[in-house]
Amino acid sequence: MAMRDDLYRIKQELADRLKTANDLPGWEALEAEYFSRTAGKFTNLIKKLKQLPEEERKIMGRLGNEVKDEMLSALSARRSFLEGARFARLAETEAIDVTAPFLPPLPMGHLHPTTHVQSDLEDLFTSMGFTILDGPELESEYYNFESVNIPADHPARDMQDTFYIKGHPHWVMRTHTSPVQVRALERYGVPIRAIVPGRCFRNEATDPRHEHTLYQLEGLVVDRQITFSHLKGILETVARYLYGEATQVRLRPKFYPFVEPGVNGEVTCFLCAGAGCRVCKETGWLEIFGAGMVHPNVLTAGGVDPREYQGFAFGLGLSRLVMLKYKIEDVRHLQTGDLRFLSQF
Amino acid sequence: MLISKNWLKDFVFLPDAFNPDELALQLSLSTVEVEKVIRQGAGLEGIVVGVIRNIEKHPQADKLWLCQVDAGDGLLPIVCGGSNLSSGMKVALGQIGARVRWHGEGDLIEIKPAVIRGIESQGMICAADEIGLGQLFPSSNEREVINLSHLKAKPGTPLSTALGLDDVVFDIDNKSLTHRSDLWGHYGIAREVAALQRKKFKALNPPPIKGGKEVSVTVSVADTKLCPRYMAVAFCGIKVAPSPEWLQRRLIAVGLRPINNIVDITNYVMLELGQPLHAFDKASLASPDGSVSIFVRRAQGGEKFVTLDNKEYELNEDAMVIASQERALGLAGIKGGAGSGVTDSTTEIVFEAATFEAANIRRTSLALSLRTDSSARFEKGLDPALPELALRRAAALLCELCPGARAISAVAEERHYTLRTEPIVVPAGFIEKKLGVHIEKKRVWDILERLGFTVEEKKGALAVSSPSWRAVKDVRIPEDVVEEVARIYGYAEIPGSLPEFTIAPPPANRLRALERRVRDILAYESGLTEVYNYSFTAPEWAEKIGLPGVHLELDNPVAKDRPLLRRSLLPGLLENVEANCHRFSRVGLFEIGRTYIAEAAGERAAPDSDELLPEQHSHAGIIYAEKNLSVPFYRVAEAIRRLGQRLGADISCQAYPSMPPGYLHPGRAAQLVAGGDIVGWVGEIHPLTAKRLGLETRTAAAEIDLAAYLAYLPERDTARYEPLGVFPAVYRDVAFVVDRRHTHRALCAAIRGFDPLVSSVELFDIYAGEGVRSGAKSLGYHIAYASPERTLTAPEVDKVHAELQKMLMAVFDAQLRT
Repeated sequence: MAMRDDLYRIKQELADRLKTANDLPGWEALEAEYFSRTAGKFTNLIKKLKQLPEEERKIMGRLGNEVKDEMLSALSARRSFLEGARFARLAETEAIDVTAPFLPPLPMGHLHPTTHVQSDLEDLFTSMGFTILDGPELESEYYNFESVNIPADHPARDMQDTFYIKGHPHWVMRTHTSPVQVRALERYGVPIRAIVPGRCFRNEATDPRHEHTLYQLEGLVVDRQITFSHLKGILETVARYLYGEATQVRLRPKFYPFVEPGVNGEVTCFLCAGAGCRVCKETGWLEIFGAGMVHPNVLTAGGVDPREYQGFAFGLGLSRLVMLKYKIEDVRHLQTGDLRFLSQF
Repeated sequence: MLISKNWLKDFVFLPDAFNPDELALQLSLSTVEVEKVIRQGAGLEGIVVGVIRNIEKHPQADKLWLCQVDAGDGLLPIVCGGSNLSSGMKVALGQIGARVRWHGEGDLIEIKPAVIRGIESQGMICAADEIGLGQLFPSSNEREVINLSHLKAKPGTPLSTALGLDDVVFDIDNKSLTHRSDLWGHYGIAREVAALQRKKFKALNPPPIKGGKEVSVTVSVADTKLCPRYMAVAFCGIKVAPSPEWLQRRLIAVGLRPINNIVDITNYVMLELGQPLHAFDKASLASPDGSVSIFVRRAQGGEKFVTLDNKEYELNEDAMVIASQERALGLAGIKGGAGSGVTDSTTEIVFEAATFEAANIRRTSLALSLRTDSSARFEKGLDPALPELALRRAAALLCELCPGARAISAVAEERHYTLRTEPIVVPAGFIEKKLGVHIEKKRVWDILERLGFTVEEKKGALAVSSPSWRAVKDVRIPEDVVEEVARIYGYAEIPGSLPEFTIAPPPANRLRALERRVRDILAYESGLTEVYNYSFTAPEWAEKIGLPGVHLELDNPVAKDRPLLRRSLLPGLLENVEANCHRFSRVGLFEIGRTYIAEAAGERAAPDSDELLPEQHSHAGIIYAEKNLSVPFYRVAEAIRRLGQRLGADISCQAYPSMPPGYLHPGRAAQLVAGGDIVGWVGEIHPLTAKRLGLETRTAAAEIDLAAYLAYLPERDTARYEPLGVFPAVYRDVAFVVDRRHTHRALCAAIRGFDPLVSSVELFDIYAGEGVRSGAKSLGYHIAYASPERTLTAPEVDKVHAELQKMLMAVFDAQLRT
């Protein structure tokens, strides 16, 4: 019976000693003390089985296995406990300021605000099946004026203060993106759905509200059955895309030589929702479009028969949209290259 | 242009309860843009007619008076510094609570009881500028107060009532009128108002002029194209005097200063009908026998002309003048000449009413920088039927204002125009087809007829004839008729809808797509910031950089210092660095923009012409400068390399065959090559150039011609998958010193091509300077050896690696480092 007592005793002894094993080296020492192959206390005890009579040996062997399992499981439980305890202090020992940035800082690039607004609109229009076009910025008088129904001496040329090129009296910096209407009709024919975002030039002195270099986005849709109602539908789609579902579009007559009828388009001011504020000059409306049904002379200039085809065109002041969107007070910021400005976008 | 409500009421009924803001909105939505609605008398609250009952010197101040002013309900003590005060004088009395502008400047200030130099003051006697009536009561000095003694109004009467300031004035944006010459007067606007409000339009019909026979007036027009109609008639019995108050009031309401009855009549008719008139003093153009011969001719080149206000102009041969036998008396359609106008002693006049060619007036007016109310109207193209109506109207007014006046000549006339009479045929269904909405025929007719068109139905189509005032250039084609109908019907009544299209994808614009990808990659992968620079460059800046090539130049630059059209994005980017580098230790920028190259061919100038515009390729420019970074070159070159890799067409740096351009560092510059073609350059700015430009930090830049690069960009993604090697690679490093002339590209290619087992080569170090002999550099490469068929053994790899090292020594004269 001594064997049985010894087994129970050794099990209890290990259980007691495990309670004071407070680190892994202590635990490892205990494991070795009891289970080392050569000199472990349990190993040695089991070796004594051989000396017992066969009947008792069987019983004690079974008991020995049970005790061994219990001891190993006690050891394992303690080990798990000790390992957990070791990481429990990580929060103190390895803490960092998670709000601090990575150093040295990685350079962060920025796109120009006009690019953001332009890309956004390009995505809208391409989703509606429009193609994106552009044409020369230095244009001929023919495309910039004549082809879009602005003959020489037309009062409309008054509205377009034009940069001319020295030594080339018939070359101009395009005053609008409209010449691309005719170039596009010539090149792609009809039906056509296209937008033309691009740089335009007006010969006027710069101040916070005027720039000689500005960006427009022109749209052109021509097919057999394109109506004014469609023009309004597209303008409403754009306005709601830009300023929300509740946005209203208001059209007023406006003379542009290249459209007939011609309108200008206003949207309910997105800042005051039409109540009137400083940005909309207390009117509740923001003027952002010029538009109309393409003038038959423009279709003809593009090689399209106006008796068979009709369509609409519209122009958006991209620079103006950018200023409205980001509440930029001075249009000249857009062309300054000042990183303090550019790195905000 | 200012439009008076009271004046409009001559031609269209406007009810008393009428809301001017609503009318303004209606006009804005259907006709012309009303910018402002000005209520006369607004701001005059609390200002009444007062009578000075007693006046004495202020005991404490030399220039102040103490007045007892009768305000209708008692006397008020008022301290005032007016220079024209007298007992019994009627004045504009600002009572406590009224708002005035001190000395006509600054914000409105509320009048409060005050003690001025020890004397109590209960209000203010106002000067014209202080209550916004400067135009009505011009004052000779700033201490002059308004004298209302001519008014019958009793003390205490509100000033606005006493002055009859009950009008509402609509301020119309002239730019919204450029195509509507018929709207440059009250008559035309009233016609629109009548159509919009569906009210009857009261047409003017002044009696025909009963011509006299005493005097012969003849007119001779040299170029009837430039002057299709000219009418003149002489009157006697003129007594020049101020106009009656009603007429003065109307002129003042729309911003014109009354002068005398004759001049006022011409102005009145112009503002009413839009037809400028001119009144000559007959004595200034008559021959000794009293007859008048008027010549409408072109100016002689260099002919001097002095205007009514004594300014001298030199005319070119394009200008037109109204002349007597002897001299030019008027600049046709623009301004009268000195010595020909009406004066106080004038007793006989000649009225002129004419039509001039719009373009000619516009050219002359622009050339002389002389724009007048008259030229503004003529250059819009006036109705040739209008002079007759205007002349009759002027004659009727003349008889009213000058009861003794009568015509002493027949109405002389030269008339060479034909009004288009052929109706515009608007096919059945045309309006609906254009607008996408059905408008009832009755409504269409009603709209057109109210606007003065005559409409007939012919085989289902509408035959629409324009009235003379719309026929000149305004309404000519069926689309114009559609506009008339649509705008009066109301654009708000046309619902929006979306067109239906086939779902065929639109043609791709590869250059646009490339530009957009380049932007994203440079900004978001290489951490560069996008700028938009002007297309215009300053010659001094281009010269300092030393850019080659001849720049196109603006003929009329607005920024006089920047007349050149850029040939490269570099000048702008350099300016950006210069402007930013004192604030930022690192400046990394890019721009996508056009360049303008005169000597290279771009697009056609016209479809049927061989003339080609300059090439205007889209370029991508990059610039980088960082404090204490001695070789910014690699930062830029890396951005380009990554760009090429991301886009799927490698861009590599290749040494210039001879010297790079002068503005680039001769040892740190390269050509950018894609698909065997040069598409751009990269390099550090030459230290001398940098110094000239004021750049203190070493700066590198690059520029790629995106249009040229696009040619090498595969249409589809060409990325290919390489199977992952099943057998592990074995790594060896090699480090060696070679002469500086051996490039990484050549060494890398030699290592890669040395043995099929070399599967990758990666540069991990490049160094020149201390510890390496001059003229040489040290390089270190990681080399991976692998076979797709088996696991390589160490001895096998060592053998190849040793041979590779031998090759480097033999071919490149490399000294191995250990």
